[in-house]
Amino acid sequence: MNTLLAVIIGALTVYLAYTLYARRIDRHVIQSDPKRATPATLYMDGVDFMPTNRNILFGYHFKSIAAAGPIIGAIVAANLWGWLPAIIWLILGVSFLGWASDYSGIVISVRNDGNSLSAIAHRLVSPRTRTILFVFIFFYLLLVAGAFVGIMATVLESQPKTQLGVIVLTVMGLLLGQMLYRWRTGLVGATVLTVGLTLIAILGGGWTEEVFKAFNAGLNNVSGGAPLVTYFDPTLANFKGADAKIMPSLLFWALAISAFCYAGSVLPIWRMAQPVIYVGFWITALAMVLGLTGALVAPFAKPEVAQFVIPAFRGFNPQLGPAGVMPLWPMLFVTIACGAISGWHALFGAVGTARQIQNEADMLPIGGGSMFAEFLLGLLALLAVSVGAKGAPVGAFATGLGGFISVWGLPIQYATSLAFAAFIVIVLVVTQLLFRVQRVTLSEWLGDVFPPCRNQHIASLICVALAILLMMTGTWVYLWQLFGGANQMMAALSLLLVTVWLASVGKNWMYAGLPAAFMWVTTCASILVTAYNLYSNVYQINMAAGRTIPVVGSALMILVALLLVVAALYIGLDTWRAFQRYRHRPVQQRKPAAARA
Amino acid sequence: MLTARWTRLRGALAQFLYGLTGYEFARHALQMRHELESVFMVVTFGDLIGVPVLPPVYSLRLLPYVVPEIATWKRHMAQRKEFWEKDEYDLHGL
Repeated sequence: MNTLLAVIIGALTVYLAYTLYARRIDRHVIQSDPKRATPATLYMDGVDFMPTNRNILFGYHFKSIAAAGPIIGAIVAANLWGWLPAIIWLILGVSFLGWASDYSGIVISVRNDGNSLSAIAHRLVSPRTRTILFVFIFFYLLLVAGAFVGIMATVLESQPKTQLGVIVLTVMGLLLGQMLYRWRTGLVGATVLTVGLTLIAILGGGWTEEVFKAFNAGLNNVSGGAPLVTYFDPTLANFKGADAKIMPSLLFWALAISAFCYAGSVLPIWRMAQPVIYVGFWITALAMVLGLTGALVAPFAKPEVAQFVIPAFRGFNPQLGPAGVMPLWPMLFVTIACGAISGWHALFGAVGTARQIQNEADMLPIGGGSMFAEFLLGLLALLAVSVGAKGAPVGAFATGLGGFISVWGLPIQYATSLAFAAFIVIVLVVTQLLFRVQRVTLSEWLGDVFPPCRNQHIASLICVALAILLMMTGTWVYLWQLFGGANQMMAALSLLLVTVWLASVGKNWMYAGLPAAFMWVTTCASILVTAYNLYSNVYQINMAAGRTIPVVGSALMILVALLLVVAALYIGLDTWRAFQRYRHRPVQQRKPAAARA
Repeated sequence: MLTARWTRLRGALAQFLYGLTGYEFARHALQMRHELESVFMVVTFGDLIGVPVLPPVYSLRLLPYVVPEIATWKRHMAQRKEFWEKDEYDLHGL
């Protein structure tokens, strides 16, 4: 297998699934009608409801859904089961589930006056669904924040070349916000300056490597070279398990990331979060575009970087020893989330994008099209890790992507630096935003019961402290799989809601109902498997060794896992009842309003 | 024919790029402006509904200049909102 063949298979998947399946559903089941008025045209308010050009909205929606998810999932899955199951799930997932979930999230909102999924669930299913969604969103964010902080701290501590780039990115983000919103500088000039300087700092990371190495060594001397915390991590050493050591330097970088995220959470969004994301977007986009096109021509220009080197298939339940059981079903289906299907896309599409759709005929190209583009991002990550050298998964990914980029003439060490930086930047900017969203969710959820949560500083500190605690368990792979479970469960819930809505208006519900049932069962099973792994391989072993922090962290993760399953059972039961109700007695569909000329 | 198609494609690409980059800044600027307009509306609301509140009617005269799209402003304020409809959620990137 080589990269050209994989890219051709990916392109064919997109073409066939879009033209033969997605378009058919759009025409014959949803019956999108260009003459029907959309909420954007009916309720245009100049802020949220705003008819927007299809191409602009496609770019906006794609940028909003694509980030670290498809990359990390593919890296972990390829190392666990091999590249073949990963690529098959990506193809089948996006063809039959992913596009349907994203597209339907937009459709259901457009056909229900631009209402959010929770408001529609409140009306069609039951009032308690909204509360359960709170639980889901909060823990979903907590899990992914813990996983990301863990990954970031480890990479930053072990790769002193990358630290200069991250510091300059932060400064450039702050500068960009000031330039755009205060000094009213033009976007193009401000972009060239800030992105250019960040790029120079990333490529020149080697200049300060020795300085940061000495800095880390100085920090570690504080404890005389002894670790602050030691715990058993069954996922280390290629899933053979080993004692992990939290050194002062690792804790420092975890706290530095937390401080960065805290600032992003409490400052006005234009001041830090938005411009940092924007600068990071350009760095990542550059690496991804060069990487994807490089993967396409690599078999001819540089064949040595185009051949897959990892095994195609490692087994249905790879022997992981102390890392416990990792059966292909259900675990693969939650490990690779966003490149195949993601719940967050539907949640966002229903409130962010649906209210800007100016024509029903745009729903499929924007919702489905963006998901297919995200699939290509996941495919690129899978290719990069499949051709990368052996070693730590993130390193293998950076080596692989660096190889693709080097096809265009950039020296390999700079190309690898750019690939490494792209990974760090994309995770870092997303983590920053996660804390912001988590803080808002926490204050809305618990603000009435526990008023201090309404204070943005207290809420942010609670979120940061919980993420650090989860990080200290060290098992970010389990954290990632729990997050994947929560994410896929949200996708299942949005598809369940779409199924109920389709039944309520007397339409064929199969295209949403079957994927919803599959994802619901799969994610419940995966969360239980992860809880079992956590109990038998982290909680018990560290308990026997008398290590308090990983015991508390793993107990918290098990509790979260059980809460997610209980919430999923409640929603499953409520939607089943609602489905049965509407299936036999569909409600009268309202006549469409005529569009404006 | 070919030129027209090429022009269309270039236009679509430019729009896509704008959607990827500048559009979110434009949206955020609109939201900030809306918040400022809301503050002005609070100041002039008494005059608007006929209740004599100081400062006097001059503020009402200024209203069409500061908030030119009063109808869309009213529509925006009348929408019921969930907490996750805030702008933070537009930028998640997962």
